[in-house]
Amino acid sequence: MYKGVLRFLVVWTALGAFSQAALAQNVKPRVHILKNGLRLIMLKRGDEPRIACGLAFRVGSVNERPGITGISHLFEHMMFKGTKTIGTKDYEADKRIIAQLDSVKALMRVEESKMRDMMRRGLIDDMRKRENWTERYKELEKVFDQLIQKQREIIIKDELDRIYTKHGATGLNAFTGEDMTVYIINVPSNKLELFMWLESDRLLNPVFREFYAERDVVYEERRLRIESTPTGRYDVQFETMFWQSSPYNWPVIGWPSDLIAITREQAHEYFNTYYAPNNCSVVLVGDLDYDETIRLAEKYFGRLPRGRKEPPEVITMEVPQLAEKRMAAEAETTPQVRIWYHGVAHDHVDQPALDILTSILSGKTGRLYKSLVLEKGIATNAYAGIDARKYEGVIQVVGIAKEGHSPLEVEQAIYEEIGKLKKEPVSDYELQKVKNQYAASNFRRLQSNFFLMIQLAIYDVMSDWSYINTYPPKVQAVTAEDVQRVAKKYLTRENRNVLIYTRKESAEPEDPAIAALPEQARQMVKMMIGRIQQVNDQNQLQMMISQMESRMGQVQNDDQRKAMEVVLQKARQRLQELQQKQ
Amino acid sequence: MRKCATLWLLLLAVLTSGVLAQGIPPHPDQLTFKPLKYDPPKAKDFRHTLKNGAVVYIAEDRELPLINISIIIRTGSYLDPEGKEGLAAMVGSLLRDGGTQSLTPDSLDERLDFLAASVSTSIGGTQGSATLNVLTQNLDDGLALFVDILKHPRFDEERMRLYKERTLQRMKRRNDHTASIERREWNRLMYGEDFFINRLPTKKSIESITREDLIEFHRKYFYPANFIFAVSGDFKKKDMLKKLEKAFANWPNRGTKIPPVPRPKREPEPGIYMVHKDVNQGRISIGHWAIERGNPDEFALRVMNDILGGGGFTSRIMSRVRSDEGLAYSAGSRFGIGVYYPGVFRAYFQSKTPTCAYATSIVLEEINRIRTEKVSEEELQTSINSFIETFPQNFGTAARTVRTFAQDEYTGRDPDYWQNYRDNFRKVTADDVLRVAKKYLHPEKLVILGVGNVDDMLKGYDKHPVKFTDFGLGEVKRLPLRDPLTLEPIAEEK
Repeated sequence: MYKGVLRFLVVWTALGAFSQAALAQNVKPRVHILKNGLRLIMLKRGDEPRIACGLAFRVGSVNERPGITGISHLFEHMMFKGTKTIGTKDYEADKRIIAQLDSVKALMRVEESKMRDMMRRGLIDDMRKRENWTERYKELEKVFDQLIQKQREIIIKDELDRIYTKHGATGLNAFTGEDMTVYIINVPSNKLELFMWLESDRLLNPVFREFYAERDVVYEERRLRIESTPTGRYDVQFETMFWQSSPYNWPVIGWPSDLIAITREQAHEYFNTYYAPNNCSVVLVGDLDYDETIRLAEKYFGRLPRGRKEPPEVITMEVPQLAEKRMAAEAETTPQVRIWYHGVAHDHVDQPALDILTSILSGKTGRLYKSLVLEKGIATNAYAGIDARKYEGVIQVVGIAKEGHSPLEVEQAIYEEIGKLKKEPVSDYELQKVKNQYAASNFRRLQSNFFLMIQLAIYDVMSDWSYINTYPPKVQAVTAEDVQRVAKKYLTRENRNVLIYTRKESAEPEDPAIAALPEQARQMVKMMIGRIQQVNDQNQLQMMISQMESRMGQVQNDDQRKAMEVVLQKARQRLQELQQKQ
Repeated sequence: MRKCATLWLLLLAVLTSGVLAQGIPPHPDQLTFKPLKYDPPKAKDFRHTLKNGAVVYIAEDRELPLINISIIIRTGSYLDPEGKEGLAAMVGSLLRDGGTQSLTPDSLDERLDFLAASVSTSIGGTQGSATLNVLTQNLDDGLALFVDILKHPRFDEERMRLYKERTLQRMKRRNDHTASIERREWNRLMYGEDFFINRLPTKKSIESITREDLIEFHRKYFYPANFIFAVSGDFKKKDMLKKLEKAFANWPNRGTKIPPVPRPKREPEPGIYMVHKDVNQGRISIGHWAIERGNPDEFALRVMNDILGGGGFTSRIMSRVRSDEGLAYSAGSRFGIGVYYPGVFRAYFQSKTPTCAYATSIVLEEINRIRTEKVSEEELQTSINSFIETFPQNFGTAARTVRTFAQDEYTGRDPDYWQNYRDNFRKVTADDVLRVAKKYLHPEKLVILGVGNVDDMLKGYDKHPVKFTDFGLGEVKRLPLRDPLTLEPIAEEK
């Protein structure tokens, strides 16, 4: 039946940036390493007169420590604030104001330290609230604001963005992760020198102005992404619970206490350590000329001195987990279960087999969807995935419970499927199917210059850009025995962390019949209804109904009778449903 | 040893930097660039018509072994019958998921997955879309399945039940995130609850939809003369046209007269509206109606909005609300150019609840400023240059080019639009910007919507004691939260 499509071994002719042979693509960038250690990775491609550009640094939240969590991300924001030339009308005056701001801030920190102490002693609830500030702090803030006003007169707002925009560049942005910080921009192909000028200037002459206002922006970002979303805060705590010793155990956005305390001096120290050219890869994909690009890179990025010392190595490794950890959260979301197992680092030999394993579980024809959604009908979605980081990894499984079924039931069904993976090897058909999909998706991922640039940047930061070519054949080589072996090795009870979400009561739209009942009765009634929804046997339900009907006469209290009637009505509805299903 | 090497490199870097730094101008404004010549492609060079009446935009792109066939279908949720809200979307989803007359949903899924072919179908407000993405070597198998899906859908009962369950589960989440409350209430305020985009599915409407409804909807709108193709990838144009001709033959067209997209009946009621949800960040939207396509002021208005709040960090709202004050992470404005009815001008930001009123006052100041003062020559040139220089992106790849042209054909855009695009921007002056800002921005007509902890938003904070009631738009009207399943108002929790 599927013999016809097992013919992947067609050889395509080499075209432009790629040669495609058999299953895997072969991306062939030109690589040039500057004397200061900066890695330049270029790929000429396409007709569009533009170039997708990225600057990737080997630094992220994994390189932080308690007290400065969130600094990588805050720092990413600071890189847009200008240089000695960009962003100010008068650098000397600007420098003086920045020094004054720093000294006022130093005095404010003394007060902050007092307020932190008051918070710990329970005398104030939150040191970020104005009403909790000390008098001295309020005075200092006034002085600080006056200086800011003065500085504003000589600042040229977001000049970096303005210059790029004026020249037709788009998408100036950046992202920070656990393992990397990447800056991106798309420029017209005749403006490559502008990119070289601005980016080398950012690294050579940075000025972290508007540092403290930017801290507030980051705090708003934290509110936007985490605090004001239905599950943001819980997800962060689950992830923190998951990691024990690894420095992955704080969020990229940082802890609130640290975010408000990070200083400009700390930012400078951070910059000097991690933003050296020897810690950076510049990736360019698009309409470019290799020799001209190398000439410009030598001229501009060649100016940067190599870092005085190599960035410190990440030492602390995750200790093996000894026992299952669980977290139960009530939130405004659909009841669901998330199961996270400790996996392996991005470059680990077991990664390809784990990739295949999670693919076999996922998708419309994946085992989880077929079993939990289509066959058992207890979930509305279920899938697995991998978060492979530079130093450690996570294997993630998610199941969304269907109404009337609990996340615990979904959890058990997931373990059944995992059990099958351990017990018997996957079929040749399944294995070939996910390999076909993997091969096709490899090509799809090469379609956009921007996305290709991002992949090369990420791979080069994690290990080496050539991963884009070397990894896919490893996935194609995975055998059914490999899958079974890694299932047994990693998907164990003691290696897992489970997050159960149940819906917060207030978030559940109230049934009007239940809402009319007195407060005390509601909980009881809901529990009863919940139980009735679980019953699948008509006879059993019929018996429950008869029992309730016969007891109805004994109930004296009006409220109780009303409650009983609501439950009875639901039970009869359920019975009808079951009869219709037959 | 290692130390020595590092030292040596360090010295080398210092030495070379002195030499190489020569020729670097002190400011990027002094750099010169080769001019970039770019001529946009012309739609007619890509356009073909199949014998069955379908229009095809087609372009070869032989770099990767992939082929993409996209179809725009003339239909939309505006055609949902009263009481069957959600029907069009359900058809869109179950075309792909509900199997075909000869293949059960399970076997269809298996075949597509094994071919590593991706097929997606959906129906939105004013158009439907279907896409096949397949490896070159699997084109024939993939195309046959794609046509089968579009022509002979099964709308399997079991998959339909599953779709309904998932829809209801999602529906329950309508009030979980303030962003979805904001979107829903904003649309209601702008276009009225009876306008088609606000006729949202309810539990009742979803449950009332039958398989016959799906079959009928599909029969009415799915036939070749109602399709516009955008095809690109690894093929010879001639061969592909032949394949399409054959694959879509023997599919009779129907003479259904498709009613036009309706127009909203009345302009929004100005005022301040708030919806309560207990979160510490408020979401604010500020705006009113904008314009429709074909308006001669379109280009001046796009420049105006770009300077006001559309241009990211380079725009005024972002610069003041975010960069100056640190009041928001995201802030800006959009000036909507509607295809079938007036679009909406909307300025927005999200800020901690006590600072929402102050940040709103800044946005209002900026709206007033752009109506009363000419923009600077520098702002004007930055904006115009940006529109002109980014122009080639509209035709960046073969896929994007055919998609742009197919979309233009669907919406009946002036065929010369792209040819004159850059000249139209070049003509815009600072006087034009001032004139259109005065003509199309109306501070007295503004609607302000806030979603978040209303008490905290109203309280404001002592450092900048601005209140929502200071804006001359009357008292704050509290809007009730709506029951997610019925969309009926529910009493506010205290």
